[in-house]
Amino acid sequence: MSSFSNPHFMYLFDLKSGKQKLAYGESPQDALDILRIRLSETEMAEIHQDRFIKISQRELQKYVHNLG
Amino acid sequence: MAFSWPWRTRHTKTSDILWLDLGDLGDLVNPSGPHEQWQDHGLGLLRTILQQNGIETDLASTRAVTSWEQLANQMQGYKMMIMNVRSYTFPVARKAAHIFKEINPEGIILTGGMHATVAPNEMEAVEEFDKICQGPGETVIVDLVRDPDAFPRVFQATGARSMADWPMIDRTLWPQPVGRKVKRRWKWHWPMEPECGWGPGPVATILTSRVCPWQCVFCNENSYIPNMGRRPVEAVIDELNYLDRTYGVGSVVIHDSMFFQNPRWLREWIELYPRKANKVWPYWAAGRADTVRQWPDLFEALIRETNWKTISIGFESGSDRILKLLNKECTEEDNYFAIDLVNRLGDELEARGEEPPKFWSNIMLGIPGETKEDAFKTMRMLKRMKRVFPSISYYAPYPGSALGFQLIAEGKSMMSLDNYHRYPDDEKVKGVDYQFYRELLAGKYDDEINRGLATVTRGADLYEGTLIKA
Repeated sequence: MSSFSNPHFMYLFDLKSGKQKLAYGESPQDALDILRIRLSETEMAEIHQDRFIKISQRELQKYVHNLG
Repeated sequence: MAFSWPWRTRHTKTSDILWLDLGDLGDLVNPSGPHEQWQDHGLGLLRTILQQNGIETDLASTRAVTSWEQLANQMQGYKMMIMNVRSYTFPVARKAAHIFKEINPEGIILTGGMHATVAPNEMEAVEEFDKICQGPGETVIVDLVRDPDAFPRVFQATGARSMADWPMIDRTLWPQPVGRKVKRRWKWHWPMEPECGWGPGPVATILTSRVCPWQCVFCNENSYIPNMGRRPVEAVIDELNYLDRTYGVGSVVIHDSMFFQNPRWLREWIELYPRKANKVWPYWAAGRADTVRQWPDLFEALIRETNWKTISIGFESGSDRILKLLNKECTEEDNYFAIDLVNRLGDELEARGEEPPKFWSNIMLGIPGETKEDAFKTMRMLKRMKRVFPSISYYAPYPGSALGFQLIAEGKSMMSLDNYHRYPDDEKVKGVDYQFYRELLAGKYDDEINRGLATVTRGADLYEGTLIKA
């Protein structure tokens, strides 16, 4: 029962380009694993995997201008 | 002017203000299906509020004409036009605004709606839009219409704290179907809505709550719709009884994004609806697989005691990989729990001679990252449902949603300002093998799908031709 027992959070990872990548999961590591499902190795390599902030869904619209 | 059927729709001008209902041309003249005929509750609510404050508006609808020339004819002489713009009606709104300004160069155009909230830059780029209201319009619409100059071009509005503050919609303010033929064909008792296979007509569509608080990344409506108190159970029942006395009700569609939330409200619904409604009308309403698993007794009581006959669940996928990618926060196990419970309840009710509940099963295909095996698992999950209306669509990266914004930023969205439309077969994301999905839905891989099932009771006819608008 995921949303009750294993809630997900949203994260913004810094990209080498200065932009940010939106990801989500139970933890930052889980969020990166989920990104890996749809991104290529080259795209994953653009992500600073240790530079991220946790955001609330309610604030999502504030960050969209800088996604890359 | 080019003539096209119907050559002219009668339009009587009684006000200087025109409210333009938006949708594909002809949807109220010759609809391709029942869902094109759903009415806009935002329009109904805001026109009701204006009317209660002494502001009359005329109504035209892009759905009630079959050509832009017809619409132009109906726009003549207005000083103001108001539109509720959604992402999938944005192209229609742009075109209509352009025509309105050509005919009425001094006229002003007020816009609002979901697209203004999630894609303000796209709205601002349309120079014909004089005012753009972001957020709910119910507390600002009267002042805006009375004195638009008092507002900046783009502004943020705040909604009511609770749906209890909303007036009951005057449904006669909704657009009418055009012609007797369409009314007869769809057994349409306007201002009620026509039946669509979920229950007998006339259909009462109603909202009891706003905003699904979960975080599925194809939606994320909680990031752009503020929280709002749920409508009191008694007010919902009172409105249904009023509609029944006035027009007759055959069944109900509870259009909430997420009906099956807030157990305290649901327990009150179970207590009062069977006792106080004129009739315990069957209804369509939405839930989630993990909430069914969390509150199975409540779910079962709703089915047994309140006639919840069409259960809409956004299963989306039968694969944990894809459920994670969609941030669904449900698992394959949750999905199968809900399916097996509804199958069991259906068998039991059917054995007693009662009508069993059915799923309206929302399924998404063409999600970036989805493999063939993921899609096969989804079709296997669908086959496990004994009684189901499959509602299958290709994933669409709409602005406003987390994954939509991210794919747009990555340059992978194939949706653009001119094609935010909702045609089922549209290709929506770069890199997705749509030919595979077309073949999948044509039954080409049914043997492979069946090989993963312990028992096979259903063929590919279950999902052939079921692709719908996203």
